[in-house]
Amino acid sequence: MLRKLIKHEFRATGRVMLPLFLVLLVTSVGANFSARGMLDTRYKVLDVLGSLLVMAFAIAIFGVCVMSVVLMVQRFYKNLLQDEGYVMMTLPVSVHQHIWSKLIVSAVWFALTIVVVCLAACIVAFDVGFVQELIQGFRELFRELSQYLNAYYAINGTVIILEFLAICFVGCCVMCLQFYAALAMGHSSPNHKMAWSVLWFFALQFATQLLAGSLLALLDESWLHHLLLAWTEGWHLSGTAATQLMMLIVILGEVLYGAVYYFLTTWFLKKRLNLE
Amino acid sequence: MKWQFSNDAPIYAQLIAQIKVGIVSGAFPPGERLPSVRDLATEAGVNPNTMQRALTELERDGLVYSQRTAGRFVTEDQTMIDAAKRGLAEGHIQMFLAAMRRLGYGKEDILNLLRQENEKEETTHGDFDM
Amino acid sequence: MAILTCKGLSKRFGGTQALDQVDITIEPGRIVGLLGPNGSGKTTLIKLANGLLTPSEGEIRICGLVPGKESHACVSYLPERTAIPTWMSVTQLLDFYQDFYADFRRDAAEEMLAHLNIPPKQRIKQMSKGTREKVQLIMVMSRSAKLYLLDEPIGGVDPATRDYILSTIIGNYNPDAAVVISTHLIADVEKVLDDVVFINQGRIMLQASVDQIREEKGMSVDALFREVFKC
Repeated sequence: MLRKLIKHEFRATGRVMLPLFLVLLVTSVGANFSARGMLDTRYKVLDVLGSLLVMAFAIAIFGVCVMSVVLMVQRFYKNLLQDEGYVMMTLPVSVHQHIWSKLIVSAVWFALTIVVVCLAACIVAFDVGFVQELIQGFRELFRELSQYLNAYYAINGTVIILEFLAICFVGCCVMCLQFYAALAMGHSSPNHKMAWSVLWFFALQFATQLLAGSLLALLDESWLHHLLLAWTEGWHLSGTAATQLMMLIVILGEVLYGAVYYFLTTWFLKKRLNLE
Repeated sequence: MKWQFSNDAPIYAQLIAQIKVGIVSGAFPPGERLPSVRDLATEAGVNPNTMQRALTELERDGLVYSQRTAGRFVTEDQTMIDAAKRGLAEGHIQMFLAAMRRLGYGKEDILNLLRQENEKEETTHGDFDM
Repeated sequence: MAILTCKGLSKRFGGTQALDQVDITIEPGRIVGLLGPNGSGKTTLIKLANGLLTPSEGEIRICGLVPGKESHACVSYLPERTAIPTWMSVTQLLDFYQDFYADFRRDAAEEMLAHLNIPPKQRIKQMSKGTREKVQLIMVMSRSAKLYLLDEPIGGVDPATRDYILSTIIGNYNPDAAVVISTHLIADVEKVLDDVVFINQGRIMLQASVDQIREEKGMSVDALFREVFKC
């Protein structure tokens, strides 16, 4: 069922995201032409056109990134909390499956957005002198890296990259969940659902800041600080091990943080659903 | 076949009456296979259980019989059909007589009125359609 | 086993008591009318059966199951409003239902759509309100569910569409399933019903069969309703 939900999610969101990606790529082609020589011709018209194309490209990049987030939020409340909810929330599917399908699909679109933005940047820079320099730079980087390349660094390198990707993925999910929880909580009210959702969002953010601040204060020059120092007294960690430990701690922290929002979202969707 | 329903009698009773009319008038000829309960119910716009109840009663009366897998059929027994026709006619007549008596007509007046109305019908329509 | 059972079911919204100690049993093979004025609790009861709301007190069971993922698989729900995603085309909607519901009969749905001349490539948002409602109804009735919950299926549509909807309901009759029709348009629906439940201000006022009412009280359900709910 989860696979089917994901397929359906992609169909529903792809019809917005894919055209946006196309627009971005088209404007990047336009900006490429502009960069290639439109800007210093004798013709004023081409000059203006060139600037417009570059501006379009800049707007497109901004637009695509913003739309990614907006679409993710809008999709959640439109699909589960408004009229479509009558169909979606009566499917033979659990609330958990609903939320995970949306989280996974949102994360994929965020990742794709980054990829497409990079691709667009490459297109803009295509065949302009700077690209050759970029490629040279990469070649030199690889040569340097291959010097250090041995089993230890290869394995650790890959693990660190995987951990980094995990941090990104969990981070995406956590960001989505913050919106989802606020929406689920706000829409349980009979009136002014959106207003309540916005209020809940800020209330949750505020609560988080408060908690994080207290935690930091606790860690700094307090009994916890000394306790942790005492524990790690005899530890001698190498650079890579320390990095990995750091990353695992970050992932754990993110997961715990996300878990709170996940619980809030599922509880409100299960017990306090109030479709009008 | 036009299905008409009034508000006072139970629907299954009205269905029984109307199917009888259908059989007697030839809409459901003798020996003819009746549509399935669901199809009849859809046609009449009624609940299938109600249609089933009506058909079961008609089976009990002998106007309709069912064969295991083949379905339901109208009886071929013409005397049964004639008896049903007579029964329906008597019902109409009794209602007519009751209504006329409520208006204050006596037996002779009723018969005279009937004759006059019948002649009028014949001159305006030529043939008395049945 | 009874398709739907409610025991002492109550639902409170803040200060309002939407349902109060509701006891109902609905057996398979019955078409039941849930009749009451607006705001009497009909929609609340249906939403509770769907798991869209959770009870404040008492219990509700669908084929013995608590409303949830499993009961959704055997309940086919027609909401009052158009809930199908409007960006989809008819074909995509058929794919959707086929994907999620094992009991969805795609051929039956396609036949009904063809009968109404609804082109498969057309998008829901391009259709008129009446056509949208018919499409939604076709999807709901094309499932071989155990319980059909129809919330005001003939409410805002013209008489011809009403006839079509009612004949679709009759035509899909399954002696193993139950159909609950919630409406306040009783005269149109009466001939199709086996049993009726009168509900007012969250309380069950009457539960009887249509035949019983006509025989014992000598009036139609519509007339009885007018009497019971006289303002």
